Amino acid sequence: MKGLNLSLLMGAGKRLVMAVPYVWLLLFFLVPFIIVLKISFAEAQIALPPFTDLVEFTDDVLTLSLNLFNYIDLYEYDLYLTGYISSVKIAAAATFIAFLIGYPIAYAIARLPEHSRNLALMLVILPSWTSFLIRIYAWIGLLKNNGLINNFLMWLGIIDEPLIMLHTPFAVYIGIVYAYLPFMVLPIYTNLVKHDGRLLEAAADLGASPVESFFKITLPLSMGGIIAGAMLVFIPAVGEFVIPELLGGPDTLMIGKMLWNEFFNARNWPGASAVAVVMLVLLIIPITIFQRYQAKEAEEAERG
Amino acid sequence: MKTLTKLALAASVSLASTMTLAADKTLNVYNWSDYIAEDTLPTFEKETGVKVTYDVFDSNDVLEAKLLSGKTGYDVVVPSSTFLARQIKAGVFQKLDMSKLPNHKNLDPAMMAKLAELDPGNAYAVPYLWGTTGIGINVAKVKERLGEDFPVDTWDIVFKPELAAKLADCGITVLDAYDEVVPTVLNYIGEDPKSQDQKVLKKKVAPVLDAIRPYVRYFHSSQYINDLANGDVCVSIGWSGDILQAVDRAAEADNGVEVAYIIPKEGAGLWFDMLAIPKDAGSVDEAHKFLNYLMDPKVMAGVSNYVWYPNAVPASKPMIDEEITSDPAIYPTPEVEAKLFTFPVYEPKFDRAGTRMWTALKAGK
Amino acid sequence: MANTQTKAGWPSWLILGLGFLFLYLPIFVLMFYSFNESRLVTVWAGFSTKWYGELFRDDQMMGAVWMSLKIAFLSATMAVALGTMASVALVRFGRFRGKTVFTAMMTAPLVMPEVITGLSLLLLFVTLAQMIGWPAERGMLTIWIAHTTFNMAYVAVVVSARLRELDKSLEEAAMDLGANRLAVFFKVTLPIVAPALFSGWLLAFTLSLDDLVIASFVSGPGSTTLPMVVFSSVRLGVSPKINALATILVLSVAAVSLLGWWLMRRKELQRQKEMRAAYAS
Repeated sequence: MKGLNLSLLMGAGKRLVMAVPYVWLLLFFLVPFIIVLKISFAEAQIALPPFTDLVEFTDDVLTLSLNLFNYIDLYEYDLYLTGYISSVKIAAAATFIAFLIGYPIAYAIARLPEHSRNLALMLVILPSWTSFLIRIYAWIGLLKNNGLINNFLMWLGIIDEPLIMLHTPFAVYIGIVYAYLPFMVLPIYTNLVKHDGRLLEAAADLGASPVESFFKITLPLSMGGIIAGAMLVFIPAVGEFVIPELLGGPDTLMIGKMLWNEFFNARNWPGASAVAVVMLVLLIIPITIFQRYQAKEAEEAERG
Repeated sequence: MKTLTKLALAASVSLASTMTLAADKTLNVYNWSDYIAEDTLPTFEKETGVKVTYDVFDSNDVLEAKLLSGKTGYDVVVPSSTFLARQIKAGVFQKLDMSKLPNHKNLDPAMMAKLAELDPGNAYAVPYLWGTTGIGINVAKVKERLGEDFPVDTWDIVFKPELAAKLADCGITVLDAYDEVVPTVLNYIGEDPKSQDQKVLKKKVAPVLDAIRPYVRYFHSSQYINDLANGDVCVSIGWSGDILQAVDRAAEADNGVEVAYIIPKEGAGLWFDMLAIPKDAGSVDEAHKFLNYLMDPKVMAGVSNYVWYPNAVPASKPMIDEEITSDPAIYPTPEVEAKLFTFPVYEPKFDRAGTRMWTALKAGK
Repeated sequence: MANTQTKAGWPSWLILGLGFLFLYLPIFVLMFYSFNESRLVTVWAGFSTKWYGELFRDDQMMGAVWMSLKIAFLSATMAVALGTMASVALVRFGRFRGKTVFTAMMTAPLVMPEVITGLSLLLLFVTLAQMIGWPAERGMLTIWIAHTTFNMAYVAVVVSARLRELDKSLEEAAMDLGANRLAVFFKVTLPIVAPALFSGWLLAFTLSLDDLVIASFVSGPGSTTLPMVVFSSVRLGVSPKINALATILVLSVAAVSLLGWWLMRRKELQRQKEMRAAYAS
């Protein structure tokens, strides 16, 4: 009898754990998203609000007008596709670079003595607590033609002419990697710090070299952290536009900036909403499928 | 004895309630940053007893998005003239109660006539400060490249490809605002700056911009201020107030850079930052008081002296520093003023075409 | 075991050194220029501490700093609570109805462009205010809600990655020993995911502190956050005051962290000494 009560209680607790974030997301994500979806089927106009109503009630007739123009337009305007592809490319490359730099840092932190790890983590994130814009401006000061890096290199006599770094793709990658590095380091660290050292010891006993055991044991085991880090860098970087705008040249086309222009300069809320909806669908479907696959695999691993 | 305390209590209660009433007179103002004199608000608060909550913004864009979404909570906002015109059309603002604005008569009639194009009958807003969209140059570097005696007071130095090519290596920058650059180009090639003809846009404006695109270092609406002052770029299409900031900074830094602001002889765009009251404002009375206060010659002289922007109250001119009023870059001469034009309010269709032309231009495609 | 795991040889130190050089290079630059006499951030005109004085006299900026820190702290905390609950539900509860929608909703805030998130939440708040009178005013509360919503997505990614790898047998063993589920969660699961919670909290705090676009949309009169102040003055170039502010923030947080590290280290050395003494006797 007591056991039953307890499990009932547990059931209620379980439901609560699920319901609280669920309701929060329904209210503060799904409902707003439905508003955006609705706007994407409307037409821009100079009014309050600046788009047409979907549902009209005239002469006792309810008309629902879904305007697909924004989506057709999206498809027909080829710069959107160019912008989208170039955003994905830039974000993917930046994510890979952030992984190459971030993984060793996370690995080194995880191997610090226990009492020093949190300090090291704090130091990784601390630069991000200064304002985003002033960090970017500091990079401009470093990268420009008569900036600190060029002056330093010329003083050393390594170069005679300043290297042109600002307003190039190189500067964009520096900016994105710099801004998102903590988002790569922290999840990987979180994973690495819990690895069981005995596995490596066993491998060493069996004659594996450290390099071998790193690639055969540590790296595969830290896949979860790598995936999490890559998601946290890649997804926001696709929509990034402040960094390419300030550090890149004017020809760096990114979807985030195009959406911004559509919204603020063309004052086309419906068009911008359609871009957002398409962007969301294009990214969220593969991610959700991937997560389901991950969950299924985990379940099978347990059963097997 | 008992009744006495009760009475005293009642008296103190009523006193407290009138006090809270007085303190309840609040006004929420949303203005551009660094756009008011230091003593403007304290004096207003002292004179009227109204408590002002003063927030700042730095782009018409976010202000417009908030105004168009519904209740902002602000009682006075300061959009630029073309934005205001569109927002009036959308029905964001309430009509001003002229009986509460005795200082309205102080405003410059010529300017009000120009503004009536954007705000019919001047019914919804009053001008605060104004400026022009012209060119900022690095004097020495431009002379070095174009010749000592070259007359630089022309849009040619940006829009003529052979001149732009000569200046490209030291840096040309363009405002990232198509709705100001397109009318400027139209005016330069002798077309009506208010044209909303997509054919004209494609056939006449785009070729001019495409031809100079290779020589433009970047399109941005604020970065040029520091870059001009530092000598990193040498020709920028920009806003008068911002370029004058760069002039000031370069002089202050004493780094050998001399920046100048030019209103080209072909004419330039004219804009106003306008004071208006949203329809759903809570403190309408106080808002009118504030507007009236900001049309007082003495107050506006104080503001202009502090921010170096011209205002629309002629009676304030004698009280403004000579240094400001005698500078034709700030207070243009009457001949130049006659050539200034206001920017058009674009229809949604033209807005979309214009933005796309602009995106393609920037991407070099 | 502890030893093999915590050995940090010279390659580790080299990596950390280079990594921190990259991370702190721009920070040193802006610290340096916070002592610059000139207003131009990139021209050195002599040593001065005047910007620090001006910073403390600037009530608007100081108010915005407190507002931002408060919102960042509260939204990061709430996001960790909600994000952890969501991760537990997604990773641990097996299949349930609506799980796919839940999974998608958990990731979607990451994907949504900021402008659209800001606009859609603003429209939601405006509609709600018209319908039920809440929220009557936009301000700290609405910014907190908005930040919590996108932050919980970040937290969930970090925490669920950790949870997925957590050895279930530990929990099961504890349960076999008669501990109830709640006790197991707090005594076994929580300590193991603690680094993930800490990382998630730090990331959420950072994101909230740096958000400009969403906060601009959902804020109301009198609720200006620090990025809004920074951005509103950036037209005139980054003010050295902001460099001064960043310097103070970095130095004080670094000092507190170092102090904490030193105390922990001392405690551990003490413990080791005692243990050695105990063995020796």
